[in-house]
Amino acid sequence: MLLFSFLCRYIRLINSFCLMKCGKILVIDDDNEDMVIIREAMEMINADNVMLFAENGEKALQLLDNRFSSEHVVPCLIVLDLNMPKMNGTQTLESLKADDRFRNIPVIIYSTSINPFEKAKCVTLGAHAYITKPVSLKESLETAQVFLDFCTTA
Amino acid sequence: MHELARVTLENEMDLILAHKRSMKLAELAGLSLSAQTTFATAVSEVSRNAIDSGKGGCLILSVESEMRDKYIVAGLKNELPDKNNSREGLEHAKKLVNKYKVSTDGSIELFYNISPAFRIDIHKLDEWRSLFRNEPPISPYEELKRKNEQLQELSERVKKSEDQYKVLTNSLPLMIFSLDDQGKLLYANDWLLQYTGQNLNSLNTSKWKSVVHEEDYDSFCLLLQNNITKGATTIKIQVRLLNRNSSDYIWHQISLTPLNTEENNTRIGYMVDIHAQKTVEETLKDNYELKQAEKKLKENQHILEQYIEELNRSNLELQQFAFVASHDLQEPVRKLLFYSDYLLNKYQSSFDEKSLHFLNSIQGASRRMRSLIQDLLLFSQINKEQIQFHQVDLNAVASDACQDLEMVIEEKKATLSIQELPTLYCDERMMRQLFGNIISNSLKYSKEDQIPEVNISCKQENGQIEIIFRDNGIGFDEKYLPKMFTLFQRLHTRQAYEGTGLGLAICRKIVEMHQGKIWATSEEGIGATFFVSLPVHPVN
Repeated sequence: MLLFSFLCRYIRLINSFCLMKCGKILVIDDDNEDMVIIREAMEMINADNVMLFAENGEKALQLLDNRFSSEHVVPCLIVLDLNMPKMNGTQTLESLKADDRFRNIPVIIYSTSINPFEKAKCVTLGAHAYITKPVSLKESLETAQVFLDFCTTA
Repeated sequence: MHELARVTLENEMDLILAHKRSMKLAELAGLSLSAQTTFATAVSEVSRNAIDSGKGGCLILSVESEMRDKYIVAGLKNELPDKNNSREGLEHAKKLVNKYKVSTDGSIELFYNISPAFRIDIHKLDEWRSLFRNEPPISPYEELKRKNEQLQELSERVKKSEDQYKVLTNSLPLMIFSLDDQGKLLYANDWLLQYTGQNLNSLNTSKWKSVVHEEDYDSFCLLLQNNITKGATTIKIQVRLLNRNSSDYIWHQISLTPLNTEENNTRIGYMVDIHAQKTVEETLKDNYELKQAEKKLKENQHILEQYIEELNRSNLELQQFAFVASHDLQEPVRKLLFYSDYLLNKYQSSFDEKSLHFLNSIQGASRRMRSLIQDLLLFSQINKEQIQFHQVDLNAVASDACQDLEMVIEEKKATLSIQELPTLYCDERMMRQLFGNIISNSLKYSKEDQIPEVNISCKQENGQIEIIFRDNGIGFDEKYLPKMFTLFQRLHTRQAYEGTGLGLAICRKIVEMHQGKIWATSEEGIGATFFVSLPVHPVN
């Protein structure tokens, strides 16, 4: 009995090691155009095929859950928009931080909002960084690089 | 004793009258002619005596009818005391009558028997009395005498009655008076004279001017003059009359009634003190008005509260609208910026010059729109809900603000000198915005041929901290000062100086949120100075 439970814990530990390294970035955003912009920027810095997309918080959690159950992987970074229908950014962030499996995934808030209160709130909720959505090609490339850096250093 | 007739004894003529009346009484009592003459003679004797002695006597003829004896009686009363006490007449008379009495005051009574069988009752006496009264005068003298007596009696009655009325009018707590048709006082009772402290003459010559309140004087004069009262019955008005003792004006009701006699137009009137009634009336009226006012006030307050509620709601809605609108507007503007930038960078070679120019215009317009939206967002976020008070080191705030503006400062090679600033209880983020806005304003409106200088200093007095931002820029005409701190007010064209017209409005809102004041002075071409005054201890 005791041996079994020890074994289980061991397996889980090994699992959690495996989880961290899937190399994908999950972008949660309802704005199709923004997704296109990110993908374009990622392609321009030669980081193809690292993106996963979810159009709102609910779908994102579902996707995370699926991947975790089937492949025991989680993304190396979550890019989270704030203003979304159904489950908005802060709610999603709270759910992520409340789940043991996903708590340690770094979250970058990615929003148009320049509201300092919103920024502060996200940081308190455990967001890693806050990036304002780009207004130029240059900015979009810089942002893409930041995302990529997160993945490679993680 | 039943008195039947009287004869005053003054002269010889009266003696005849006394004789005749005595004869008549004896005749009526059923006495024989000789008995009549005897009784009349006896009466004449004493009457002559009375006239001679000048005692101002009076003959009273009467009847005494007791159970057994019945008499006709002639009484002689003296009005003046009997001086020489002459009894000569009585000496003769007492022999002629059956009985006589002399009183201590000198009055004499002569009694003459009449037949016991002769019935005397009240009806008969009344008959005799009216007989004596209505008997035609026996001579012109008697007629005259009678008239005279009647007149005298009447005059006495009138005098008595007038005296009574005078007493009455003086004892009533009323001012009573009479006026002639010219409004001249004919009579006034003591109350009126005492109350006013004047007499008839002075009231008539002054035309009551010193007595009647000036506000009531006109209507009072109308009343005095005949034209109102003519043909009317009783006229009443209310005036204030000066009380001489207390020097107060007391409300009185004046009532005037014309005496409709043919020969004159006298009016009588009274004045009654209605001050208490008037006071109550006025108090009630005041009370009523007060209540009405109170009611109105409550209604107004209610309306006001509704307005405030509505205003608050619309304010909140507006605030939310500004926030949501500016927030949601950011999205498409950002896209505009991004796509135009993308085209300009990636496909520059595919466009001709004109297209590039237009693309650049899209960029510029989008950028302006973006900063406008961001400023609006900022403005809408400065409100009571967002403010967070802490002890804030203003030196740190100033250096943070400078850091935010690092690029502009470098670009313009501006010099900023900041004196030691205090620590203040305020919202740090808003303070940073305030400092940033004012400094960037100074940098923006700097002179092209001169290195911009911004000097920030501070002084503290009367519980206020005054922060002074002085620059050497282009300045402004002070006549624009009232407009400068309001929304979307710009003194320059966009081509000359970029801006949203919100910077100083944001400053003012921040300062007002801190219960402070912001103002500026300037001389065109020399520079501008902005003053921010903030309370050391803001009231929560």
